[in-house]
Amino acid sequence: MLFPADFLTRLEYLSIISKRVFRGQLLAQRRTMQMGAGIEFSDHREYNSGDDLRYLDWNIYARHGDLLLKRFQEEQDLHVYLMLDCSRSMSFGTPSKFDLARQLVAALAYIALADLDRVAVIAYANGVCAELPITRGKARILPFMKFLEELPTSGDETNLEKAVQGLLHRGARTGLAVVVSDLFDEHGFQKGLDQLRHRRFDAHVIQLHDPKEADPALLGDAELIDIESESVRRVTITERNLKLYKQLFTDHQAAVRAYCCTYNLGCTQAPSVVRFDDLIMKMMRESGG
Amino acid sequence: MSFALPIAFTLAALAVPIMGLYVLKVRLRRVPVSTNLFWKQIYDEKPPRSIWQHFRHFVSLLLQLLLLLLIVLALSDPYFSWQLLESRRLVVVFDNSASMRATDIGPSRLAAAKSAALEIIDGMRFRDEVAIVLAGSTPEVIVGMSGHAPTLRDAINTLSFSDNPTHLVAAIELGHQLLDQHPHGQIFVMTDGAIDSQDLPLPSALESNASLDPTSVAPHKTQRMASVVEYHLFATAAANVGITQLQVRRSLIDPLGYEILASVRNASANQVACRLEFLLNDVPVDVIPLILKPEEIWSRAIEKTSLEGGRLEGVLTQIHGIETKDVSEKTNATKLDTLDFLSTDNNAWALLPSRKTQRVLLVSPGNLFLQKVFEANPLAEVSIRRDFPAQWPVDSIIVLHGNVPSILPPGNVFVIDPMGSCDQWEQGVAIETPIVTEQNKSSPLMNHIRLDNVLIPDAKQLLFRTPPQALAKTLSGESVYAEVQRPEGKCLVLSVNLETSDLAFRTAFPILVANSLGWFSGSTGELQQSLPTGAVTTVTINRATRVSDDVVLNSPHGETTVLFVAGPDSVNIPLTAVGSSQSATIGPLHEVGVWSVRHGRKETTADIPANILAEVAVNLASNRESDLRPAKELVESRQTHFPAAGWLRRPFWYYLVLVACSLTILEWFLYQRRLIS
Repeated sequence: MLFPADFLTRLEYLSIISKRVFRGQLLAQRRTMQMGAGIEFSDHREYNSGDDLRYLDWNIYARHGDLLLKRFQEEQDLHVYLMLDCSRSMSFGTPSKFDLARQLVAALAYIALADLDRVAVIAYANGVCAELPITRGKARILPFMKFLEELPTSGDETNLEKAVQGLLHRGARTGLAVVVSDLFDEHGFQKGLDQLRHRRFDAHVIQLHDPKEADPALLGDAELIDIESESVRRVTITERNLKLYKQLFTDHQAAVRAYCCTYNLGCTQAPSVVRFDDLIMKMMRESGG
Repeated sequence: MSFALPIAFTLAALAVPIMGLYVLKVRLRRVPVSTNLFWKQIYDEKPPRSIWQHFRHFVSLLLQLLLLLLIVLALSDPYFSWQLLESRRLVVVFDNSASMRATDIGPSRLAAAKSAALEIIDGMRFRDEVAIVLAGSTPEVIVGMSGHAPTLRDAINTLSFSDNPTHLVAAIELGHQLLDQHPHGQIFVMTDGAIDSQDLPLPSALESNASLDPTSVAPHKTQRMASVVEYHLFATAAANVGITQLQVRRSLIDPLGYEILASVRNASANQVACRLEFLLNDVPVDVIPLILKPEEIWSRAIEKTSLEGGRLEGVLTQIHGIETKDVSEKTNATKLDTLDFLSTDNNAWALLPSRKTQRVLLVSPGNLFLQKVFEANPLAEVSIRRDFPAQWPVDSIIVLHGNVPSILPPGNVFVIDPMGSCDQWEQGVAIETPIVTEQNKSSPLMNHIRLDNVLIPDAKQLLFRTPPQALAKTLSGESVYAEVQRPEGKCLVLSVNLETSDLAFRTAFPILVANSLGWFSGSTGELQQSLPTGAVTTVTINRATRVSDDVVLNSPHGETTVLFVAGPDSVNIPLTAVGSSQSATIGPLHEVGVWSVRHGRKETTADIPANILAEVAVNLASNRESDLRPAKELVESRQTHFPAAGWLRRPFWYYLVLVACSLTILEWFLYQRRLIS
């Protein structure tokens, strides 16, 4: 069962933890960079004619005779876009990566909704396959879970760039974009993430992999069937080839980490055998640090 | 090509499952993967060669079928006809004589010979056969014709020393018989060459035969043997000094005296100083310093006196540190001493018969000569009576002169000139001037006695009730001196009138009396000859106290052998020391020292001393064996190399298996190596 009976309990626990320990650090109550009618003082600027005199700092004027206007940081609802890779490669492994990905998405959505943020789920493969429109309120978690539970894997390739383009074409407001995927994208995962960056999305990458992908116990002659594209490749896997495969896989993982580090994106890599709540906790710790 | 086990070809049917597995193998495993992204990078960068890729599985099948074919061929044990024709029969004759103990070639000559023989075994080719023959006192086939190298190696390693003299000729003849006129037969004689070479089949015999009769079709047996014999010598011109003779015997004149005959040989080119000691029962009796010239043989008879007998041991000790001239170099240079490379002949043993005093009761009307002859014998305690005692003593030899009782007393009785009849004989008419014409020379009673020239004017004719053992007979066939066979004890009768005969004046008379006393006492005589090693002898085992024990033969080094007698139904029966005397043939006695025949009980404590029934002294006693220098002819014909095995020394299946192993490695290298983590 994707969402067991105690799933919501564990989500609530995670939500509480996120508020108590990592307040303002992860999703909810994040301050936007926009100045406006907030209540929290940010800085001063010189008064220009036409400015609202209510924000003139009378104390400074009384003491120094300078006309300075007080600026406040505006608090806005955060828009959280959870981009879930639902390509067929995500169905690989036992338990599958897709199961863990959906649990993660549900958990993140719950935490965001609990902090009164607006959350949307975009399922993508070679484009946007399905989406749950942006919504807010903790009570909306059940439709989220229903949506995720009924979501199948589909598509014959993975294309994050197309998926991001689809998100942008829908007029999504800038916010936090969490990409949950294995990033086995023949077109390159960088293009999609580049577009998110360019549109000032605060992106976070959660890359999942199955242990058998990292260390396949394959030797000898075999027909390799790509479950995503269903292409077949007859190969003789030698020890040397296997070693080369492991090196390429490790390089790919390192490339993802390096990209995120370069552009200051959040990055979490984990095998599909970990529990979703452990992974969430790990993410919280990394963000807090 | 022929096959020793053609049924192995049925295993070729295994090709069917191999091909079946090959067909199954081409169906590749279908392995789902999440992405081919990385595999594409691997294989697109280095695409496999298409032709090899196409044929690689087929080549694997061919390799496996070839592997099967090789294994089947190997199991069928193929061989070529030329292998049979070229196979060799080799006989290794080992000389394990005493001189092979010499240490001039370390650790010993025999050890060096064994090492060399192992080289022959290592050089064996497939279908070669080797036999091991030991040239002991009688040649012995240790291992018959065999191609099993481990067995041959074990047999060689277990060969041990002996103290026998060298007997190579018989061993070579036996080896020649084992060759059975094989076209590629060869005999390797592993010896030190310390042997007289005139009887040996030497290569020179071939040359002499060719010069005499080059057209000879059937060469003499010696030439035939010489053509297949190779001599491998393991010796140097080592020096040695040894005892070559040691005998001891009781004096014929002095009952307490004995004579030692000893010979010592210096078999070297140097002058040697040494000391010859004689010990009787470990008590020194004489020490003789010797300075022996090169090649000198020193011999001497030494007279000594002792009532007791026992083991006489001669010990030869070389005196080190005395300067001796090196004669071989014919210079004035001196050497401190000469090394002695053989210890076997530095000791020799001989057995001196013991003398025991005996009580003699002489019942005689009076004859001074007779009385003095017994009294003059220091081994006799003589008591004289004129009439018969009321009770005959049990522990005395009773000498009855003249009068005889109607029933002879039990025990040992010596009757001289009987004057009447008794239970053993009836007195007949007088024999006038008898002439002794026949003597029983085999009897110890007649040792060193000649009666044919003794004047006997008067003798008695005795008609024995049971046929006696005649010791001296007259021309008419009458026994004048006889051994009477009776169950009550030993009995001798001399029917010569001492008063009228000059027998009492002859030296033969005290010898006759001494022989009779010795015979009554059970003594085997004056001489117990020391035997050379390898000899076979007969020992007489007298009455023993314990009749239930087996009789065993103990070697000088403590090896024990139970003695058997051959029963009438050819079944060996353990020899036991029972009431009457028994003879046992023992030998060959292949160790120097004193061999003893004794009871077979295992516990020999101070309370139960070992009961020795008989002893035999064995010495090397060989001039040639003490000379460690090899014979010149053998040195000239010696061989130093052994036949090499060649490149095809192993069976053909061995090479097939090697190729199969190579193919296995190749197959593994091509197909399996990359798949093994």
